Amino acid sequence: MARALVLFAHPCPESFSAALHTATVEALTKGGWEVDDCDLNAEGFSPVLTMEERRAYHDELGNVAPVAGYVDRLRAAQALVMVFPVWNFGYPAILKGFLDRVFLPGVSFKLVDGKVEPNLTHIRKLVAVTTYGGTRMRAFMAGDPPRKSVRRAVWHVCRPDTMKYLALYDMNRATDAQRGDFLARVTREMEAL
Amino acid sequence: MKALVVYCHPRPDSYTAAVRDTVMDRLTDHGAEVRLIDLYGAGFNPVMSAQEHAAYEDESANTRGLEPHVADLQWCDTLVFVYPTWWYGMPAVLKGWLDRALVPGVAFHLPNEAHKNIQPGLPNITRLGVFTTCGASRWLTFMIGSPGRRTLLRGFRLICAGSCKTTFAAHYSIDSSTPASRAAHLAKVAAKMDRFIGPKPTRQEARA
Repeated sequence: MARALVLFAHPCPESFSAALHTATVEALTKGGWEVDDCDLNAEGFSPVLTMEERRAYHDELGNVAPVAGYVDRLRAAQALVMVFPVWNFGYPAILKGFLDRVFLPGVSFKLVDGKVEPNLTHIRKLVAVTTYGGTRMRAFMAGDPPRKSVRRAVWHVCRPDTMKYLALYDMNRATDAQRGDFLARVTREMEAL
Repeated sequence: MKALVVYCHPRPDSYTAAVRDTVMDRLTDHGAEVRLIDLYGAGFNPVMSAQEHAAYEDESANTRGLEPHVADLQWCDTLVFVYPTWWYGMPAVLKGWLDRALVPGVAFHLPNEAHKNIQPGLPNITRLGVFTTCGASRWLTFMIGSPGRRTLLRGFRLICAGSCKTTFAAHYSIDSSTPASRAAHLAKVAAKMDRFIGPKPTRQEARA
């Protein structure tokens, strides 16, 4: 059975992000995926790349030791699904730290003659499920950094067949109906993944 | 001038520390009052907790534990970020500083009946600078769209003064840098800082 790693980054179980997370996991399971559900806050993931890790960063034999469990989970996945709220035009720090600490040289990319070569090509499907407090225009005016990070930076090291960026903007003013529609859309898309 | 420098690197002997020193030196030389936040040095916790998130919109409680950071943000007229770019963005520790310190009522005001959009909360900030290093080349960073730079110079700038002046410099391809390229970049940082903190013309002066 194909395996999907779900990276979830919101501290509150009563949040709308948590509802999206639950819907995502259930829909993927229903769609036949074996889901590795990684709730970064609940697992107490530390996003802080330490001085020792920085010193060993380019040592492809030694750099995975502090995060070996997470590296194994990433390597076992055929789909990567990131569920997070956009905070201040970026990922929550706990998810940014997952990229900093786990997406290491030799894991997510290889440096060949100083150039980045993709190394997560076993991930065939890449999905982000996210919400923005502000409007889409506001995000567009700022260049929508999280969209670029997923669709370009993470995409670049996976080169997936399928890429989906599912976003609900203007959460500060969203109605129950808009949230319900988005939840239904996420459920539909994840069941069909 | 009241300048706040937010610095983020885990290694005290890093090149980023040399960039920070150059920035601090230029500010001091121009007679600015300077405050430094060293996020790694202070052991700053970047993870917003469930309790903090629950109190996020409660303006009487959402700065609890972050008072000095909030005071610095409200005190400064010039804000400079110095950090290494990791994964095309700022390190998680710096991102977490934004997540936790930029709360409603301080950094911005949530939409209400009078304003349907988010209103800026830090109009005291009239200068915003970013100095960074990138493992990726200039070309690859451009292709990815420089999300880290945009998060700060466009996203963060939205909550500063409307006329906020910005500056930016990056040493790209830092892993293949040479002593000469690093020294040249420090000189560039110093020159950019001098232009950045030079007297800013008023609208009338600019027209004249």
